[in-house]
Amino acid sequence: MIEVGGIGWVTAREHGCAARGERTGSDDDGSLDRFFRDGLFAYPFKNHGRLDRASRLTAVGVALALRDAGLSYSAEEKQNIGIIGTSDEGSLASDLLYFKDYAECGRTLSRANLFIYTLPSSALGEAAIHFGLQGPLLYLTAERASLQAALETAEEMLELGEAEAMLAGAVNGQEALYFFLTRAGAGQPNRLGSAREARQKAAKGRTLGDVIQQFQRRQKGES
Amino acid sequence: MTAQRALVVAADMLTPYGAGADALWTGLLSGRTAISGVTRFSTQAFQSSSAGCVDGLSYHQGESLALQMLRRLFSRTQGAIPTNASLLLATTKGEIDILEQAVLTGGNDPAESGLGRLARKTADLAGLTGEVLVLSAACASASAATARAAAMVRSGRSDCVLVAACDGVTEFVYAGFSSLMALDPHGARPFDRGRKGLTVGEAAAYALIMSEDRARREGRPVLGEIAGWGMSDDANHMTGPSRTSEGLVLAIKKALQSAGAAGEEIGCISAHGTGTVYNDAMEMGAFRAVFGPQPLPIYSVKGGIGHTMGAAGLVEIITALRALAEATVPPTVNLREPDHDAEGWVSSVAHPLVGKRAALVTNAGFSGINTAVIVRAEARG
Repeated sequence: MIEVGGIGWVTAREHGCAARGERTGSDDDGSLDRFFRDGLFAYPFKNHGRLDRASRLTAVGVALALRDAGLSYSAEEKQNIGIIGTSDEGSLASDLLYFKDYAECGRTLSRANLFIYTLPSSALGEAAIHFGLQGPLLYLTAERASLQAALETAEEMLELGEAEAMLAGAVNGQEALYFFLTRAGAGQPNRLGSAREARQKAAKGRTLGDVIQQFQRRQKGES
Repeated sequence: MTAQRALVVAADMLTPYGAGADALWTGLLSGRTAISGVTRFSTQAFQSSSAGCVDGLSYHQGESLALQMLRRLFSRTQGAIPTNASLLLATTKGEIDILEQAVLTGGNDPAESGLGRLARKTADLAGLTGEVLVLSAACASASAATARAAAMVRSGRSDCVLVAACDGVTEFVYAGFSSLMALDPHGARPFDRGRKGLTVGEAAAYALIMSEDRARREGRPVLGEIAGWGMSDDANHMTGPSRTSEGLVLAIKKALQSAGAAGEEIGCISAHGTGTVYNDAMEMGAFRAVFGPQPLPIYSVKGGIGHTMGAAGLVEIITALRALAEATVPPTVNLREPDHDAEGWVSSVAHPLVGKRAALVTNAGFSGINTAVIVRAEARG
């Protein structure tokens, strides 16, 4: 069985960790800067100033999920942990930023530091570098229920022995939600049930915000 | 439930050599490159002026490059694809030329370039009614999608998956690679001592992957098996590969384990072989680390067609199956003088492949993504 070892989320109003029962209101200005200043990460996030919004949200969501799972990490001592992410808009915002800038420069010079975020998998790459995630890395999107598809693919990878653990989650607008998944008996305490249950619960939400509320309710014992 | 073998029962491609796997195979064996001058946008400001383009596509007029290629591809299927197949679409930038037009002329909604919309169009072109997913793992997208398709079959989640892959040569992408100083002004020369970078290319391809039970039940011809796969990330740099090769080594070891194969079983390697100094050196480091110092035949198709990005892995998997079927290792087009670490491994001429039924296909992409896929030919007789 594949289990959920940790869940982390961030919205415009708060951030939290499901197993630890943490919900903290946010006075963030929307830039997420305080997460990069105030010790959420085990060590400074290199070049965080250049990250696009999807990368920032992904980094915060992953950091919260790993903290919830009680997993320590290091960019130097990499682990066979994979990451699968999804989002409604992919890299559209970064695509526009890059290409408008290129067009405004007379179509002669494009900026490499904008180009690198024009892949929907780039946000996952930034997370992999910071957290030392050496497992599979994949962006996916489905016609319906992309988060469930990401969770299902992560479960499948663990069942087939493709990674030691997986992170799977979604980013949309100002919200991010990430799950840390492991095989049962892999040494992580199972405090949040099975991945299948999480997937079913996630299916009850129409938006990522709805899904996040599903897991906020769980820790308050409302479900 | 017994794990099902994942068999390739149909495949096709459209590349700068033309339509079909035959065109690519013949082109590679001829040693002639299909890379030529770009005419669809100005390259005056860029590091290079050449690309691997498919003939007869219109740019910024009507349909996107990707959709034109996919339409041409799926017009050739002749009923080979069952309507209930799941679809995995692999791409990096899909219909990004729609966004280009929106920015340059204000004529389109840039959101129309979304990958999900292309996936729906692809499903409609292929006549599919099942699950539709887009997978994107930079320039390893298609091999990652093929691995996931095989995993879906092996795990019993699906018994028939269509993997489709495409990417076009657009100003968006070309300018980006030029800004990274990643283009070789003379055309990609994978594993060559004088290589200076990649050449952007475009292609579309599909492979129909089916469980052995269903393939037998339907009497399908079998082109080969997706026998094993491994994915990893360097977790090192956004655009440059690891200089230690450790990420690709991990992916290859996972693939061998997934296939239940020993290194000796591998007859040849279809390398990512972009022609950039660092990629090719990283790959050679990984091959030597896994397989030892004794040379194993490797080749790259990118001197022939350029780097077809999100389509590359699938074009290369289909070509590796062809190499096994023909018992021939194709040449690396544009290779003049092998780099010192590739001497004895890579060749500008074709070689016979004797007594081997498996090949390794490797790909890599931005964010340090690595994929390794092992394909196996069916036993004869």
